[in-house]
Amino acid sequence: MRALSIAATGMLAQQTNVEVIANNLANMNTTGFKEQRAEFEDLLYQNITQPGANSSDSGTVVPSGIQIGAGVRTAAVYRVTTQGDFKNTANPYDVAISGPGFFRIQQPDGTDAYTRAGNFGLSPEGQIVTDQGYTVSPGIAIPANTLSVAINAQGQVSATIAGQSAPQAVGTLELTRFANEAGLRAIGNNLYLETPASGSPQAGVPGTTGYGTLQQGFLETSNVNAVEEITSLITAQRAYEMNSKVITAADQMLQATTHLGG
Amino acid sequence: MDNTLLISLSHQIAAFRSMDAIANNIANVSTTAFQREEPTFQEYIVNVQPAEGEVGQQSLSFVKDTGLVRDLGEGRLDTTGAPFDLAIHGKGYFVVQTANGDRYTRDGHFTLNETGQLVTSNGDAVQGDAGPITITPDDGDIHIAADGTVSGKTGQIGRLRVVDFENPRLLAKEGASLYATDQPPVTADNFKLQSGMLESSNVQPVLEIAHMIEVMRAYQATATLSQSQEDLMRRAIQELGGIQN
Repeated sequence: MRALSIAATGMLAQQTNVEVIANNLANMNTTGFKEQRAEFEDLLYQNITQPGANSSDSGTVVPSGIQIGAGVRTAAVYRVTTQGDFKNTANPYDVAISGPGFFRIQQPDGTDAYTRAGNFGLSPEGQIVTDQGYTVSPGIAIPANTLSVAINAQGQVSATIAGQSAPQAVGTLELTRFANEAGLRAIGNNLYLETPASGSPQAGVPGTTGYGTLQQGFLETSNVNAVEEITSLITAQRAYEMNSKVITAADQMLQATTHLGG
Repeated sequence: MDNTLLISLSHQIAAFRSMDAIANNIANVSTTAFQREEPTFQEYIVNVQPAEGEVGQQSLSFVKDTGLVRDLGEGRLDTTGAPFDLAIHGKGYFVVQTANGDRYTRDGHFTLNETGQLVTSNGDAVQGDAGPITITPDDGDIHIAADGTVSGKTGQIGRLRVVDFENPRLLAKEGASLYATDQPPVTADNFKLQSGMLESSNVQPVLEIAHMIEVMRAYQATATLSQSQEDLMRRAIQELGGIQN
Protein backbone atom coordinates (compact mmCIF):
# COMPACT_ATOMS: atom_id res chain seq x y z
CA MET A 1 0.00 0.00 0.00
CA ARG A 2 1.62 3.22 -1.18
CA ALA A 3 -0.55 5.52 0.93
CA LEU A 4 1.58 4.81 4.03
CA SER A 5 4.88 5.82 2.47
CA ILE A 6 3.31 8.73 0.57
CA ALA A 7 1.92 10.16 3.81
CA ALA A 8 5.32 9.62 5.45
CA THR A 9 6.99 11.84 2.80
CA GLY A 10 4.30 14.42 3.54
CA MET A 11 5.09 14.35 7.26
CA LEU A 12 8.82 14.68 6.58
CA ALA A 13 8.24 17.67 4.30
CA GLN A 14 6.07 19.43 6.88
CA GLN A 15 8.69 18.75 9.54
CA THR A 16 11.28 20.52 7.37
CA ASN A 17 8.77 23.33 6.90
CA VAL A 18 8.34 23.75 10.68
CA GLU A 19 12.13 23.69 11.19
CA VAL A 20 12.61 26.46 8.63
CA ILE A 21 9.84 28.55 10.22
CA ALA A 22 11.32 27.97 13.70
CA ASN A 23 14.70 29.21 12.50
CA ASN A 24 13.12 32.31 10.96
CA LEU A 25 11.26 33.12 14.17
CA ALA A 26 14.38 32.48 16.28
CA ASN A 27 16.28 34.97 14.11
CA MET A 28 13.58 37.62 14.10
CA ASN A 29 15.91 40.06 15.87
CA THR A 30 19.13 38.99 14.17
CA THR A 31 20.82 41.89 12.35
CA GLY A 32 20.82 41.42 8.58
CA PHE A 33 19.08 38.02 8.72
CA LYS A 34 17.22 37.01 5.56
CA GLU A 35 14.16 34.80 6.00
CA GLN A 36 14.14 31.35 4.45
CA ARG A 37 11.31 29.47 2.79
CA ALA A 38 10.96 25.76 2.14
CA GLU A 39 9.91 24.94 -1.41
CA PHE A 40 8.32 21.57 -2.15
CA GLU A 41 7.87 19.56 -5.33
CA ASP A 42 6.08 16.32 -6.14
CA LEU A 43 8.05 13.07 -6.37
CA LEU A 44 8.21 10.68 -9.30
CA TYR A 45 5.03 9.23 -10.77
CA GLN A 46 4.30 5.59 -11.46
CA ASN A 47 2.65 5.31 -14.85
CA ILE A 48 -0.13 2.76 -14.79
CA THR A 49 -1.87 4.10 -17.88
CA GLN A 50 0.04 6.75 -19.81
CA PRO A 51 -2.12 9.81 -20.58
CA GLY A 52 -2.73 9.90 -24.32
CA ALA A 53 -2.28 6.13 -24.74
CA ASN A 54 -4.41 4.59 -27.47
CA SER A 55 -7.64 3.15 -26.15
CA SER A 56 -8.80 1.65 -29.47
CA ASP A 57 -7.66 0.83 -33.00
CA SER A 58 -9.44 3.88 -34.35
CA GLY A 59 -7.05 6.25 -32.64
CA THR A 60 -9.04 7.33 -29.59
CA VAL A 61 -6.83 8.19 -26.64
CA VAL A 62 -7.09 7.82 -22.88
CA PRO A 63 -8.02 11.34 -21.72
CA SER A 64 -6.21 11.40 -18.41
CA GLY A 65 -4.33 8.16 -17.77
CA ILE A 66 -3.43 6.83 -14.35
CA GLN A 67 -0.31 8.19 -12.75
CA ILE A 68 0.14 7.52 -9.06
CA GLY A 69 2.49 9.92 -7.31
CA ALA A 70 5.04 8.85 -4.73
CA GLY A 71 4.62 11.86 -2.43
CA VAL A 72 6.54 15.06 -1.90
CA ARG A 73 10.10 16.20 -1.34
CA THR A 74 11.80 19.40 -0.30
CA ALA A 75 13.15 20.96 -3.50
CA ALA A 76 14.93 23.88 -1.90
CA VAL A 77 15.15 25.99 1.20
CA TYR A 78 15.84 29.39 -0.28
CA ARG A 79 16.53 32.81 1.12
CA VAL A 80 14.24 35.74 0.39
CA THR A 81 16.80 38.52 -0.10
CA THR A 82 14.50 41.49 0.30
CA GLN A 83 15.71 44.50 2.27
CA GLY A 84 15.07 44.50 6.03
CA ASP A 85 13.99 47.57 7.97
CA PHE A 86 16.49 50.11 9.31
CA LYS A 87 16.90 50.52 13.02
CA ASN A 88 18.55 53.64 14.39
CA THR A 89 21.26 52.77 16.92
CA ALA A 90 23.32 56.01 16.88
CA ASN A 91 26.45 53.88 17.24
CA PRO A 92 29.05 55.35 14.83
CA TYR A 93 30.32 51.91 13.86
CA ASP A 94 26.89 50.51 12.97
CA VAL A 95 26.51 50.60 9.19
CA ALA A 96 23.45 49.46 7.23
CA ILE A 97 23.49 48.70 3.50
CA SER A 98 20.58 50.21 1.59
CA GLY A 99 20.35 48.21 -1.64
CA PRO A 100 22.35 45.23 -2.89
CA GLY A 101 25.81 44.27 -1.67
CA PHE A 102 27.68 42.64 1.18
CA PHE A 103 30.58 43.67 3.40
CA ARG A 104 33.65 41.51 2.86
CA ILE A 105 35.03 40.06 6.09
CA GLN A 106 38.44 38.46 6.46
CA GLN A 107 38.15 35.30 8.54
CA PRO A 108 40.99 34.24 10.87
CA ASP A 109 42.09 31.56 8.35
CA GLY A 110 42.58 34.27 5.71
CA THR A 111 39.56 33.36 3.55
CA ASP A 112 36.78 35.82 2.75
CA ALA A 113 33.25 35.73 4.12
CA TYR A 114 30.40 38.15 3.38
CA THR A 115 27.81 39.74 5.63
CA ARG A 116 25.05 42.33 5.64
CA ALA A 117 25.21 42.74 9.42
CA GLY A 118 27.07 46.02 9.87
CA ASN A 119 27.36 45.99 13.67
CA PHE A 120 31.07 46.74 13.71
CA GLY A 121 33.46 47.84 16.42
CA LEU A 122 37.12 48.61 16.90
CA SER A 123 39.90 46.12 17.62
CA PRO A 124 42.60 46.89 20.20
CA GLU A 125 44.73 48.05 17.24
CA GLY A 126 42.03 50.51 16.16
CA GLN A 127 40.87 48.53 13.12
CA ILE A 128 37.18 48.28 12.11
CA VAL A 129 36.16 44.69 12.93
CA THR A 130 32.96 42.63 13.22
CA ASP A 131 31.57 41.62 16.59
CA GLN A 132 33.66 38.44 16.34
CA GLY A 133 36.78 40.58 15.86
CA TYR A 134 37.25 39.72 12.17
CA THR A 135 38.67 42.49 9.98
CA VAL A 136 36.23 44.29 7.67
CA SER A 137 37.94 44.57 4.27
CA PRO A 138 39.85 46.48 3.09
CA GLY A 139 41.02 46.96 6.70
CA ILE A 140 40.54 50.50 7.95
CA ALA A 141 42.48 51.70 10.98
CA ILE A 142 41.08 54.55 13.04
CA PRO A 143 43.92 56.70 14.44
CA ALA A 144 44.33 57.12 18.17
CA ASN A 145 42.93 60.33 19.73
CA THR A 146 39.99 60.24 17.32
CA LEU A 147 37.06 62.27 18.56
CA SER A 148 34.45 61.17 16.06
CA VAL A 149 34.14 59.01 12.96
CA ALA A 150 31.93 59.74 9.96
CA ILE A 151 31.01 57.18 7.28
CA ASN A 152 29.24 58.61 4.27
CA ALA A 153 26.84 56.94 1.83
CA GLN A 154 29.72 56.11 -0.54
CA GLY A 155 31.64 54.31 2.23
CA GLN A 156 34.31 56.96 2.82
CA VAL A 157 35.43 56.85 6.44
CA SER A 158 36.81 60.04 7.92
CA ALA A 159 38.07 60.64 11.45
CA THR A 160 38.13 63.89 13.37
CA ILE A 161 41.31 63.81 15.45
CA ALA A 162 41.93 65.85 18.57
CA GLY A 163 43.89 68.97 17.78
CA GLN A 164 43.06 68.94 14.03
CA SER A 165 40.36 71.11 12.56
CA ALA A 166 39.69 69.18 9.33
CA PRO A 167 38.56 65.53 9.39
CA GLN A 168 41.08 63.10 7.97
CA ALA A 169 40.08 60.47 5.36
CA VAL A 170 41.19 57.06 6.65
CA GLY A 171 39.78 54.69 4.01
CA THR A 172 36.74 53.50 2.08
CA LEU A 173 34.48 50.58 2.96
CA GLU A 174 33.83 48.43 -0.10
CA LEU A 175 30.80 46.35 -1.05
CA THR A 176 30.74 43.02 -2.86
CA ARG A 177 27.90 41.73 -5.00
CA PHE A 178 27.05 38.39 -6.60
CA ALA A 179 25.14 37.33 -9.70
CA ASN A 180 22.95 35.17 -7.46
CA GLU A 181 22.80 36.31 -3.83
CA ALA A 182 20.44 33.47 -2.95
CA GLY A 183 23.19 30.99 -3.85
CA LEU A 184 25.51 32.05 -1.02
CA ARG A 185 26.16 29.52 1.72
CA ALA A 186 25.30 30.62 5.25
CA ILE A 187 27.85 29.54 7.85
CA GLY A 188 26.28 31.15 10.91
CA ASN A 189 27.42 34.29 12.75
CA ASN A 190 25.61 36.26 9.99
CA LEU A 191 28.35 35.23 7.56
CA TYR A 192 28.01 33.85 4.04
CA LEU A 193 30.53 32.12 1.80
CA GLU A 194 30.87 32.20 -1.97
CA THR A 195 29.67 29.01 -3.76
CA PRO A 196 29.66 27.87 -7.40
CA ALA A 197 25.94 28.80 -7.43
CA SER A 198 26.45 32.38 -6.26
CA GLY A 199 28.91 33.33 -8.97
CA SER A 200 32.22 35.05 -8.24
CA PRO A 201 32.34 38.11 -5.97
CA GLN A 202 32.49 41.52 -7.68
CA ALA A 203 33.88 44.24 -5.46
CA GLY A 204 32.82 47.86 -5.94
CA VAL A 205 32.31 51.23 -4.36
CA PRO A 206 29.01 51.85 -2.51
CA GLY A 207 26.63 54.06 -4.45
CA THR A 208 27.85 53.09 -7.92
CA THR A 209 25.56 51.20 -10.34
CA GLY A 210 24.40 47.90 -8.89
CA TYR A 211 25.69 48.60 -5.37
CA GLY A 212 23.79 49.90 -2.39
CA THR A 213 24.65 52.91 -0.29
CA LEU A 214 25.73 52.95 3.37
CA GLN A 215 23.92 54.44 6.35
CA GLN A 216 25.99 55.19 9.43
CA GLY A 217 24.28 54.78 12.81
CA PHE A 218 21.72 52.29 11.49
CA LEU A 219 21.43 48.52 11.42
CA GLU A 220 19.42 46.41 8.97
CA THR A 221 16.93 44.29 10.92
CA SER A 222 15.88 40.84 9.76
CA ASN A 223 13.24 40.72 7.02
CA VAL A 224 11.21 38.10 8.93
CA ASN A 225 7.52 38.95 9.08
CA ALA A 226 6.25 37.44 12.34
CA VAL A 227 2.57 37.33 11.34
CA GLU A 228 3.39 35.55 8.10
CA GLU A 229 5.60 33.04 9.91
CA ILE A 230 2.97 32.22 12.53
CA THR A 231 0.27 31.64 9.91
CA SER A 232 2.71 29.41 7.97
CA LEU A 233 3.42 27.55 11.20
CA ILE A 234 -0.29 26.85 11.74
CA THR A 235 -0.68 25.66 8.14
CA ALA A 236 2.38 23.41 8.43
CA GLN A 237 1.17 21.90 11.70
CA ARG A 238 -2.28 21.14 10.27
CA ALA A 239 -0.76 19.63 7.14
CA TYR A 240 1.41 17.42 9.36
CA GLU A 241 -1.68 16.25 11.26
CA MET A 242 -3.54 15.51 8.04
CA ASN A 243 -0.71 13.33 6.79
CA SER A 244 -0.72 11.43 10.07
CA LYS A 245 -4.49 10.88 9.63
CA VAL A 246 -3.80 9.31 6.23
CA ILE A 247 -1.38 6.91 7.90
CA THR A 248 -4.04 6.00 10.49
CA ALA A 249 -6.68 5.47 7.79
CA ALA A 250 -4.36 3.35 5.65
CA ASP A 251 -3.46 1.36 8.73
CA GLN A 252 -7.13 0.69 9.49
CA MET A 253 -7.66 -0.52 5.95
CA LEU A 254 -4.70 -2.88 6.27
CA GLN A 255 -6.07 -4.05 9.61
CA ALA A 256 -9.40 -4.89 7.95
CA THR A 257 -7.41 -6.86 5.35
CA THR A 258 -5.47 -8.90 7.91
CA HIS A 259 -8.72 -9.79 9.68
CA LEU A 260 -10.05 -11.31 6.47
CA GLY A 261 -10.11 -15.07 6.60
CA GLY A 262 -9.51 -14.81 10.33
CA MET B 1 -19.90 -18.78 -5.80
CA ASP B 2 -16.49 -17.10 -5.74
CA ASN B 3 -17.98 -14.11 -7.51
CA THR B 4 -18.83 -12.33 -4.27
CA LEU B 5 -15.19 -12.49 -3.22
CA LEU B 6 -13.94 -11.43 -6.64
CA ILE B 7 -16.29 -8.46 -6.83
CA SER B 8 -15.28 -7.44 -3.30
CA LEU B 9 -11.65 -7.76 -4.33
CA SER B 10 -12.18 -5.46 -7.33
CA HIS B 11 -13.69 -2.88 -4.99
CA GLN B 12 -10.90 -3.26 -2.46
CA ILE B 13 -8.26 -2.69 -5.15
CA ALA B 14 -10.16 0.40 -6.26
CA ALA B 15 -10.26 1.64 -2.66
CA PHE B 16 -6.49 1.18 -2.34
CA ARG B 17 -6.03 3.16 -5.55
CA SER B 18 -8.24 5.96 -4.19
CA MET B 19 -6.29 5.96 -0.95
CA ASP B 20 -2.97 6.30 -2.82
CA ALA B 21 -4.33 9.27 -4.77
CA ILE B 22 -5.68 10.92 -1.58
CA ALA B 23 -2.39 10.33 0.24
CA ASN B 24 -0.48 11.94 -2.63
CA ASN B 25 -2.84 14.92 -2.64
CA ILE B 26 -2.45 15.45 1.10
CA ALA B 27 1.33 14.94 1.00
CA ASN B 28 1.49 17.69 -1.63
CA VAL B 29 -0.73 20.15 0.21
CA SER B 30 2.23 22.58 0.42
CA THR B 31 3.72 21.84 -3.00
CA THR B 32 3.86 24.91 -5.22
CA ALA B 33 1.27 24.77 -8.05
CA PHE B 34 0.39 21.13 -7.36
CA GLN B 35 -2.89 20.07 -8.96
CA ARG B 36 -4.95 17.53 -7.08
CA GLU B 37 -6.03 14.30 -8.69
CA GLU B 38 -9.07 12.16 -8.34
CA PRO B 39 -9.46 8.62 -9.62
CA THR B 40 -12.46 7.80 -11.79
CA PHE B 41 -14.01 4.35 -11.80
CA GLN B 42 -16.20 2.48 -14.23
CA GLU B 43 -18.55 -0.40 -13.91
CA TYR B 44 -17.13 -3.43 -15.67
CA ILE B 45 -19.90 -5.84 -16.61
CA VAL B 46 -19.24 -9.51 -17.18
CA ASN B 47 -21.98 -11.75 -18.58
CA VAL B 48 -22.08 -15.17 -17.04
CA GLN B 49 -23.96 -18.38 -17.66
CA PRO B 50 -27.18 -18.60 -15.69
CA ALA B 51 -26.86 -20.62 -12.55
CA GLU B 52 -28.55 -23.99 -12.45
CA GLY B 53 -32.29 -23.66 -12.09
CA GLU B 54 -32.31 -20.05 -13.27
CA VAL B 55 -33.15 -18.63 -16.64
CA GLY B 56 -32.03 -15.56 -18.54
CA GLN B 57 -28.80 -13.67 -18.85
CA GLN B 58 -26.96 -12.93 -15.65
CA SER B 59 -24.34 -10.26 -15.32
CA LEU B 60 -21.76 -9.37 -12.71
CA SER B 61 -20.59 -5.87 -12.07
CA PHE B 62 -16.96 -5.25 -11.14
CA VAL B 63 -15.19 -1.97 -10.45
CA LYS B 64 -12.40 -0.87 -12.74
CA ASP B 65 -10.25 2.25 -12.45
CA THR B 66 -10.12 4.09 -15.73
CA GLY B 67 -8.23 7.24 -15.02
CA LEU B 68 -6.84 9.76 -12.62
CA VAL B 69 -8.27 13.16 -13.46
CA ARG B 70 -6.17 16.22 -12.68
CA ASP B 71 -8.07 19.18 -11.29
CA LEU B 72 -6.94 22.09 -13.46
CA GLY B 73 -8.32 24.70 -11.08
CA GLU B 74 -6.00 27.43 -9.91
CA GLY B 75 -4.54 27.32 -6.40
CA ARG B 76 -4.58 30.34 -4.13
CA LEU B 77 -1.76 32.84 -4.67
CA ASP B 78 0.65 33.22 -1.73
CA THR B 79 2.90 36.23 -1.28
CA THR B 80 6.57 35.34 -0.84
CA GLY B 81 8.24 38.66 -1.68
CA ALA B 82 11.10 36.96 -3.55
CA PRO B 83 11.66 38.90 -6.80
CA PHE B 84 11.78 35.86 -9.08
CA ASP B 85 8.80 34.00 -7.60
CA LEU B 86 6.11 34.12 -10.27
CA ALA B 87 2.54 32.92 -10.20
CA ILE B 88 0.50 32.39 -13.36
CA HIS B 89 -2.99 33.75 -12.81
CA GLY B 90 -5.05 32.15 -15.56
CA LYS B 91 -4.12 29.43 -18.01
CA GLY B 92 -0.61 28.61 -19.08
CA TYR B 93 2.68 26.94 -18.26
CA PHE B 94 6.29 28.12 -18.08
CA VAL B 95 8.73 26.38 -20.43
CA VAL B 96 11.79 24.82 -18.78
CA GLN B 97 14.77 23.49 -20.70
CA THR B 98 15.85 20.19 -19.08
CA ALA B 99 18.38 17.57 -20.11
CA ASN B 100 15.47 15.55 -21.55
CA GLY B 101 14.06 18.40 -23.63
CA ASP B 102 11.46 21.07 -22.96
CA ARG B 103 9.21 20.53 -19.95
CA TYR B 104 6.30 22.60 -18.70
CA THR B 105 5.52 23.81 -15.18
CA ARG B 106 3.27 26.18 -13.28
CA ASP B 107 5.73 26.26 -10.37
CA GLY B 108 7.20 29.73 -10.76
CA HIS B 109 9.83 29.57 -8.02
CA PHE B 110 12.86 30.69 -9.99
CA THR B 111 16.29 31.95 -8.95
CA LEU B 112 19.40 33.11 -10.72
CA ASN B 113 22.37 30.81 -11.21
CA GLU B 114 26.05 31.74 -11.04
CA THR B 115 25.94 33.33 -14.51
CA GLY B 116 22.76 35.29 -13.78
CA GLN B 117 20.50 33.00 -15.83
CA LEU B 118 16.92 32.54 -14.61
CA VAL B 119 16.63 28.88 -13.51
CA THR B 120 14.27 26.57 -11.58
CA SER B 121 15.17 25.17 -8.18
CA ASN B 122 16.75 22.20 -10.02
CA GLY B 123 18.97 24.53 -12.06
CA ASP B 124 17.16 24.09 -15.39
CA ALA B 125 16.95 27.25 -17.51
CA VAL B 126 13.58 28.97 -17.84
CA GLN B 127 12.83 29.80 -21.47
CA GLY B 128 12.05 33.27 -22.72
CA ASP B 129 10.83 34.15 -26.20
CA ALA B 130 14.47 34.30 -27.30
CA GLY B 131 16.09 31.57 -25.21
CA PRO B 132 17.09 31.71 -21.54
CA ILE B 133 16.90 35.03 -19.71
CA THR B 134 20.09 36.43 -18.20
CA ILE B 135 20.01 39.14 -15.57
CA THR B 136 23.14 41.01 -14.50
CA PRO B 137 23.56 42.85 -11.18
CA ASP B 138 23.78 46.09 -13.22
CA ASP B 139 20.11 45.70 -14.15
CA GLY B 140 19.19 46.89 -10.67
CA ASP B 141 15.66 46.17 -9.48
CA ILE B 142 13.94 43.75 -11.83
CA HIS B 143 10.34 44.26 -12.81
CA ILE B 144 8.36 41.42 -14.34
CA ALA B 145 5.20 42.63 -16.03
CA ALA B 146 1.90 40.76 -16.18
CA ASP B 147 2.59 39.63 -19.76
CA GLY B 148 6.02 38.19 -18.80
CA THR B 149 8.20 41.10 -19.94
CA VAL B 150 11.32 41.23 -17.78
CA SER B 151 12.85 44.67 -17.51
CA GLY B 152 15.59 46.27 -15.45
CA LYS B 153 17.05 49.71 -15.03
CA THR B 154 18.48 49.66 -18.56
CA GLY B 155 15.27 48.59 -20.30
CA GLN B 156 13.75 45.34 -21.49
CA ILE B 157 15.80 42.19 -20.93
CA GLY B 158 13.45 39.60 -22.39
CA ARG B 159 10.01 38.08 -22.16
CA LEU B 160 9.14 34.85 -20.38
CA ARG B 161 7.53 32.24 -22.56
CA VAL B 162 4.14 31.10 -21.29
CA VAL B 163 2.42 28.41 -23.33
CA ASP B 164 -0.84 26.51 -23.21
CA PHE B 165 -2.09 23.30 -24.78
CA GLU B 166 -5.19 22.24 -26.62
CA ASN B 167 -5.74 19.50 -24.07
CA PRO B 168 -3.86 20.24 -20.82
CA ARG B 169 -5.16 17.02 -19.26
CA LEU B 170 -2.94 15.02 -21.61
CA LEU B 171 0.20 16.38 -19.95
CA ALA B 172 2.05 13.61 -18.13
CA LYS B 173 3.44 14.36 -14.68
CA GLU B 174 7.15 13.79 -14.33
CA GLY B 175 7.65 14.75 -10.69
CA ALA B 176 9.61 17.85 -9.62
CA SER B 177 6.48 19.81 -10.61
CA LEU B 178 7.25 19.25 -14.30
CA TYR B 179 4.91 18.08 -17.05
CA ALA B 180 5.88 16.43 -20.33
CA THR B 181 3.87 16.12 -23.53
CA ASP B 182 4.17 15.52 -27.27
CA GLN B 183 1.49 18.10 -28.01
CA PRO B 184 2.73 21.23 -29.75
CA PRO B 185 2.51 24.18 -27.35
CA VAL B 186 0.44 27.18 -28.37
CA THR B 187 1.10 30.69 -27.10
CA ALA B 188 -1.03 31.41 -24.06
CA ASP B 189 -2.88 34.71 -24.15
CA ASN B 190 -5.23 34.43 -21.23
CA PHE B 191 -2.94 34.84 -18.24
CA LYS B 192 -1.39 37.39 -15.91
CA LEU B 193 1.96 36.93 -14.16
CA GLN B 194 2.25 38.05 -10.56
CA SER B 195 5.78 38.51 -9.32
CA GLY B 196 6.62 38.00 -5.64
CA MET B 197 3.88 35.38 -5.42
CA LEU B 198 3.61 31.63 -5.84
CA GLU B 199 0.56 29.55 -6.71
CA SER B 200 -0.12 27.16 -3.85
CA SER B 201 -1.52 23.68 -4.45
CA ASN B 202 -5.24 23.43 -5.19
CA VAL B 203 -5.71 20.58 -2.68
CA GLN B 204 -8.69 21.22 -0.40
CA PRO B 205 -7.71 19.47 2.85
CA VAL B 206 -11.29 19.22 4.15
CA LEU B 207 -12.49 17.48 0.99
CA GLU B 208 -9.51 15.12 0.97
CA ILE B 209 -9.97 14.08 4.60
CA ALA B 210 -13.73 13.59 4.11
CA HIS B 211 -13.04 11.56 0.99
CA MET B 212 -10.43 9.54 2.84
CA ILE B 213 -12.88 8.60 5.61
CA GLU B 214 -15.45 7.65 2.99
CA VAL B 215 -12.96 5.37 1.19
CA MET B 216 -11.82 3.81 4.44
CA ARG B 217 -15.39 3.03 5.59
CA ALA B 218 -16.33 1.63 2.17
CA TYR B 219 -13.25 -0.56 2.31
CA GLN B 220 -14.13 -1.82 5.77
CA ALA B 221 -17.72 -2.52 4.67
CA THR B 222 -16.45 -4.57 1.73
CA ALA B 223 -14.04 -6.41 4.01
CA THR B 224 -16.97 -7.27 6.30
CA LEU B 225 -18.93 -8.50 3.29
CA SER B 226 -16.04 -10.79 2.28
CA GLN B 227 -15.84 -12.00 5.85
CA SER B 228 -19.57 -12.88 5.93
CA GLN B 229 -19.31 -14.65 2.61
CA GLU B 230 -16.43 -16.67 3.93
CA ASP B 231 -18.34 -17.59 7.09
CA LEU B 232 -21.22 -18.66 4.90
CA MET B 233 -18.95 -20.91 2.87
CA ARG B 234 -17.35 -22.39 5.96
CA ARG B 235 -20.75 -23.22 7.44
CA ALA B 236 -21.90 -24.69 4.17
CA ILE B 237 -18.84 -26.95 4.03
CA GLN B 238 -19.20 -27.98 7.66
CA GLU B 239 -22.92 -28.63 7.54
CA LEU B 240 -23.27 -30.08 4.10
CA GLY B 241 -19.99 -31.96 4.06
CA GLY B 242 -20.42 -33.42 7.54
CA ILE B 243 -20.48 -37.18 7.78
CA GLN B 244 -24.04 -38.29 8.42
CA ASN B 245 -24.37 -40.79 11.16
